[in-house]
Amino acid sequence: MNKNTLVNSKLVCVALNDKAQLAALDSTFNEAPYKKPPTQPVLYYKPRNTWNVDGAEIEWAKDMDGNDVDTMVVGASLGVVIGKETCRVSQADALNYVEGYTVVGDYSLPEETYYRPDIKGKCQDTTAPVGPAIVAADKVTNPDALSVTVSVNGEVKSELALANLERSIAELISTISHIMTLQAGEIIAVGFAGDRVPVAKGDKVEAAIEGVGTLRNTLGGA
Amino acid sequence: MRHARIIFDGRELDIDIDANDRITTADGETLNVALDSDQITWLPPVKEPGTIFALGINYADHASELAFEPPKEPLVFIKHANTLTGHKQVSYRPDNIDYQHYECELVAVIGKTGKNIKREDALDYVAGYTVCNDFAIRDYLENYYRPNLRVKSRDSLLPMGPWLVDTADIPDANALKLTTTVNGKVTQDGTTKDMIFDVPFVIEYLSKIMTLNPGDMICTGTPHGIVDCQPGDTIVCSIEDICSLETRMVSEQEFYGDKY
Repeated sequence: MNKNTLVNSKLVCVALNDKAQLAALDSTFNEAPYKKPPTQPVLYYKPRNTWNVDGAEIEWAKDMDGNDVDTMVVGASLGVVIGKETCRVSQADALNYVEGYTVVGDYSLPEETYYRPDIKGKCQDTTAPVGPAIVAADKVTNPDALSVTVSVNGEVKSELALANLERSIAELISTISHIMTLQAGEIIAVGFAGDRVPVAKGDKVEAAIEGVGTLRNTLGGA
Repeated sequence: MRHARIIFDGRELDIDIDANDRITTADGETLNVALDSDQITWLPPVKEPGTIFALGINYADHASELAFEPPKEPLVFIKHANTLTGHKQVSYRPDNIDYQHYECELVAVIGKTGKNIKREDALDYVAGYTVCNDFAIRDYLENYYRPNLRVKSRDSLLPMGPWLVDTADIPDANALKLTTTVNGKVTQDGTTKDMIFDVPFVIEYLSKIMTLNPGDMICTGTPHGIVDCQPGDTIVCSIEDICSLETRMVSEQEFYGDKY
């Protein structure tokens, strides 16, 4: 747990919110074990041991035998920072509860299945850097029009326009706030590009959102 | 020794409870009140709750009840403090659902930071045990990160307590009777002996993946015997030698009040 984390108490991530990814997986999601495509946002937590900061090293993950894993991947998302208690808010009112925006990185093992909570894939220490800072909400006029890029060693590997999210920021805040009461400082990572970017030991990764910031981290293990 | 957090006489207090049910505050004051007094408001027993790990289908008979093969490795999902509430508090039933059930579970509370903890050392990392009721709403299950947050991350649907019992006071956490009553009628009658993955196994497993920290909790799953619960029902989840946890169900409207 990094004591300088920008996250307070909870980091909720939204999986499968890239329209192109959902379309590509549609036939898979009509088969076992899924049987039908998701009807609700697909959510997961990055727990507190994963929270990390801009500039920090991301530990290279080990498998259950204690050996280094072969492959890790990274995704990046806009992080929506909640500004006050948010309980059962409407979509129309949702953005009034946002204090600001930041960048969330999600380092993990490759996403192979969405059937069970991916504790073994996504909960390794240090794998959720958030930052570099929280940009006040009034400085970001249209968050749904932002674009998230991931670069590895200076080369752009992935770009996701948030216009291509299945569910908008306001819709997600409203839906999640009807499941759980959100508190100030809790962060929602609203969507990742469906194709996560493979990374290697020692890689330098930049997750960037214009007007929000660039989150820089280096993979360990080199 | 037992440990709890209460509100008494307008004060929020950390208390110890001895074998004679005598209550002493952290400042050494003895409270002259009975444990079953309505003057005590019970808070969730872990003061600074961290990550809550919960196990699904961790009793073979419950797995068959749900038409699942017993798992080959633990099915773990994560919850946060918004779900917690205390003994003798309320939990809500969402509107327009058909099936919400309790899950009476033994909880191990982590007391020491650790990574790559060996099974034989695992109990050194456990501060104590308590009881939780890990409610589930089956209507909301979908086959994505199942059991999904809509089922398992709702406000108030993880009552816990009333107290923690020191690890040393429980020589074998896998030899305890576990029962649940609804409105006084026994609906669940099992034993922690039937747990598939015990606390030391789960600590070894989780700590291979990540660091465990004080205040993290492991809810170990529930045996056979789940029934639907309605507003107005009183549910008591009990584990022998640990504690009995009482919860009253209310409607969504009653729970959220002005925010409904």
